[in-house]
Amino acid sequence: MAHPSQLGFQDAASPLMEELLHFHDHALMIVLLISVFVLYIIVTMITAKLTDKLILDSQEIEIIWTVLPAIVLIMIALPSLRILYLMDEINDPHLTIKAMGHQWYWSYEYTDYDDLGFDSYMIPTQDLAPGQFRLLEADHRMVIPMESPIRVLISAEDVLHSWAVPSLGVKVDAVPGRLNQTTFIVNRPGVFYGQCSEICGANHSFMPIVIEAVPLAHFENWTSLMMEDA
Amino acid sequence: MFIRQSAESVERQILPKASADGARKSEMLATRALSLVGKRAISTSVCVRGGHGVAKVEEYTLPAYFDRPDNPLPDIRYVQSLSAEQQSLKEKEKGSWAALSNEEKLALYRISFNQSFAEMKKASGEWKSVLGGVFFFIGFTGLVVLWQRKYVYGPVPHTFDPEYKAKELQRMLDMRISPVEGFAANWDYENKQWKK
Repeated sequence: MAHPSQLGFQDAASPLMEELLHFHDHALMIVLLISVFVLYIIVTMITAKLTDKLILDSQEIEIIWTVLPAIVLIMIALPSLRILYLMDEINDPHLTIKAMGHQWYWSYEYTDYDDLGFDSYMIPTQDLAPGQFRLLEADHRMVIPMESPIRVLISAEDVLHSWAVPSLGVKVDAVPGRLNQTTFIVNRPGVFYGQCSEICGANHSFMPIVIEAVPLAHFENWTSLMMEDA
Repeated sequence: MFIRQSAESVERQILPKASADGARKSEMLATRALSLVGKRAISTSVCVRGGHGVAKVEEYTLPAYFDRPDNPLPDIRYVQSLSAEQQSLKEKEKGSWAALSNEEKLALYRISFNQSFAEMKKASGEWKSVLGGVFFFIGFTGLVVLWQRKYVYGPVPHTFDPEYKAKELQRMLDMRISPVEGFAANWDYENKQWKK
């Protein structure tokens, strides 16, 4: 989750998010350089004492300020496309989970395990235990094994929703009648929060996503417990 | 579409046609009269439509005076109608300039130009008014915000109580939120304090 008044990204919990962080640093540096340069030009233009009304054209500078931006754009595009294709790499998920969006909760189906499924509702503010995070906690978390490729199939039962977990670099629209797929690997154990990212009605802000990444043994314990309860 | 005519040919059309001699004489008088005032003082481009007469001349099509540092010589003099004193000064200008006193030179300058370069480029104090206005409205907005907080908004949730916030903070550290370089990375778990 984000700490109060946080401006930047949360620490990455998946390799893809690490790549995105590095790319963001790269692109932001370029953007800052361009902005500072333009600001400098503006200031020099405004404070200049001399005027030349008779300039008609200049081939040299036109060439420079066409070619240089093209090069800058290529320098941005190449890492960007690399990550884009990285996202779609063929991997062999160990586990497939379906995340279905409803108004206004998520439901998770672990059909690899005989019909393991449950709903995940936000814990209302008045029911929070001391220290729990307002608008982020859910009654049932989506538990997954860490350091394993996970496939999540995302859809919706009623209106558009979006399944987003910023620290994993995941945001996938939940479209009714459509199945969207994403895969990720969680690097480290922990609890990772996200919120519904597509307007879906009155309680759009109140249907969070909570992922708990645990070692495989703990995950197996959890699945056994859940299936006993069911 | 528009035919641009010289002042002479305009006079030829407007003045009534007398005998050939008389016409030519009146032409010459009119042209001379015009050249005294300066050909540029009146429009040298007149709109003639279908030979029926002269259409209205728009003011913005006439040469105008302007003070611009990057365009130093306007199309016309600043003072168009000279007083008798100014006219005699202009006559004196036709002689040797060394004979002119400083005041006369200045007077001649002020006939031709409105502001000097120094006056044109002089900074105004406008920025102070602008900044003052900006601060005033920002301050007013602050008052509006304070009023809203007191009279419009309800109380914040109980999760903003300091004790609750302390428990939240402890829980975030226990959960190792952002342990790489974000949140928990700045906490010294050995000495139970924030890293220096």
